[in-house]
Amino acid sequence: MIHLKKDETKAMVAVHGWSGICLGLLLYAVVLTGTAAVFAHEIGAWSAGHVATNSTFQQPIDANVRRLEAMTPPDFREAVSLFEVGDHGLGAFFHRDEVDASGTPIERGIYYQLDNSGQLRATVRGTSEEIFGPRNDDALSSFLVDTHVRLHVPNPWGLLLTGILGLAMLVAAISGLLIHRHLFKDIFTLRSRASPVLVERDRHSVAGTWSLPFAFVLAFTGSFFSFFGTIGVPVVAMAVFGGDVEAMSEAVFGNPGKPDPRPASIGNLDLVTADAIRRAGEEPTFIAIENFGRADAKITTFHNPRAGDIEPVALLYNGADATFVRAKPNVGAGPSAGGTLAGIMGPLHFGNFAGFLSKAIWFGLGFAMCYVTYTGMRLWVVRRKEQQRSLAWLERTLTVVGFGLPFGLVACAAAFLVSMPLGTAVFWTTAGFLIASAAAILAGLFAPSNDVLEKLLKSATGTAMIALPLLRLFVAGGPGWTEAIEAGQPMIAALDLAFVAAGVWLVRSFWPGVRSKREAPAIREATATI
Amino acid sequence: MSDQIKSLPRPIRQPWARIILAGPVALVVALTLLAGMPLWLPGGAAGIDNLIMPLVFAPLIWAALFFHACLDRSLVRVAVIAGLLFLVHGALIASKVMNRAPTTEKAR
Repeated sequence: MIHLKKDETKAMVAVHGWSGICLGLLLYAVVLTGTAAVFAHEIGAWSAGHVATNSTFQQPIDANVRRLEAMTPPDFREAVSLFEVGDHGLGAFFHRDEVDASGTPIERGIYYQLDNSGQLRATVRGTSEEIFGPRNDDALSSFLVDTHVRLHVPNPWGLLLTGILGLAMLVAAISGLLIHRHLFKDIFTLRSRASPVLVERDRHSVAGTWSLPFAFVLAFTGSFFSFFGTIGVPVVAMAVFGGDVEAMSEAVFGNPGKPDPRPASIGNLDLVTADAIRRAGEEPTFIAIENFGRADAKITTFHNPRAGDIEPVALLYNGADATFVRAKPNVGAGPSAGGTLAGIMGPLHFGNFAGFLSKAIWFGLGFAMCYVTYTGMRLWVVRRKEQQRSLAWLERTLTVVGFGLPFGLVACAAAFLVSMPLGTAVFWTTAGFLIASAAAILAGLFAPSNDVLEKLLKSATGTAMIALPLLRLFVAGGPGWTEAIEAGQPMIAALDLAFVAAGVWLVRSFWPGVRSKREAPAIREATATI
Repeated sequence: MSDQIKSLPRPIRQPWARIILAGPVALVVALTLLAGMPLWLPGGAAGIDNLIMPLVFAPLIWAALFFHACLDRSLVRVAVIAGLLFLVHGALIASKVMNRAPTTEKAR
């Protein structure tokens, strides 16, 4: 334990409070959508009704890639990226590297989208920035991820904003650790039979204490991701490579070797995927082919970490003959401390290193952080409201954001399920969120009291959550539980149950005879004891 | 007024100087370190550690400078350490840029 002097502790309390109150609302939005985005893949499968059983990389892809190659102008055959889209379909981006007018390296080419049976469903031309937007079948998960990554603010400003929020969270986490005088005692103190005041305070304290290390890890890795491409790489490239970002990318991510520009057909990709699955234990998440169609072509397959490991796996193959070369780190040509550190940042942030278990833990701790962020801001406001009545508007704003944001997210899921069969999900998912947010703001303006507003938003969210499985089944035409489980997608049934359970939990306190004991005066009493 | 300031906790005295040191100064020094550290850090086994380490640790470097400015009882010490880090890394960057310029001229 670090014991600061009294005046230093006071300074840390001020830093902790102001870092939270200045950026807390935006931070809450980023953390809440990030918590949901832990299961973005599963939410995508649930919302779009994915029932294909095999990964696209467990099926032959070689013939499809050669067919697409023949359709692609030679200008865009410099490199190819292969990945899964939709219901285990194949996404193939044939492209070349360019530098735009501002000197930023970009990729321009043709993006083909095939379904699970190999039928070409869509072809899009443009730069990677332009073409990798949301599609009709993944608009919901894309919306969640986009909100979390950049709050829908255009890049680089969106990434810079979430990076600053990450730093604010880092400050709150470190100062939170420094001001805890009884850290180990607080972890286990949860007096469920004590007075409501103490129960409320204990819950806040326990959630905050348990999520402190997690908050530190998430803030650190999150700000790393936000600043990596926007500030970090350009600054380091300026100092070391005279501003040549492409040269730095090549030094860090490239596969060194003697250039051999002689034309050569690409090796059998089915051999590569089969060998990669055997070596890594699971199908690739991404395949990158450099120097496509040349004798020095290189194929890299990227995989999630192996069981019991935290570092993702990457395997390198010779492109021309599809032979295995070596396992390589995700960053750097060979093993190194820096490459390992950079490689584990992703799994630490996304919680995808131990399958469902680690994701569930990350989701739970993320939820605890939302709770801590919200109740922390609320305690700050309620305590000061006694002396400064003008802060009442801030308390109401907190309620609008704290409970209106989950309502907006559930409403956008409902809008997605209704509009997806019509092919307009990209528009209506965002529109649904904005309409629900506007409704929450209006409720905040006209509700007679803060308690009424909270109850209104909670019951609306709960009702919409209970309706989601019905919308999925009967409006979106999604698979039933038996079909989903037989197709290896038990997550569809699990999410249905989770939505109903959460919905019932939210509306149950408004049933006659079951009144929540957690009322504003209790919080006020709690703050007085802190 | 001076009595009021004296009655404040020590780390909160001279709040504007502290805010400037913890805010813009910490940011500028962190950016200078980010640019300068690759020039002296060892490359490691794969020759990329000097490029990657500053990128990975950039948020922590900023946080260290921020908390130092908030907690150190001597503002002069905060300013001296930040200034030294800035000058040393700034000089490394300037030297690298100046060495590059004649090479570029020669290549032309």
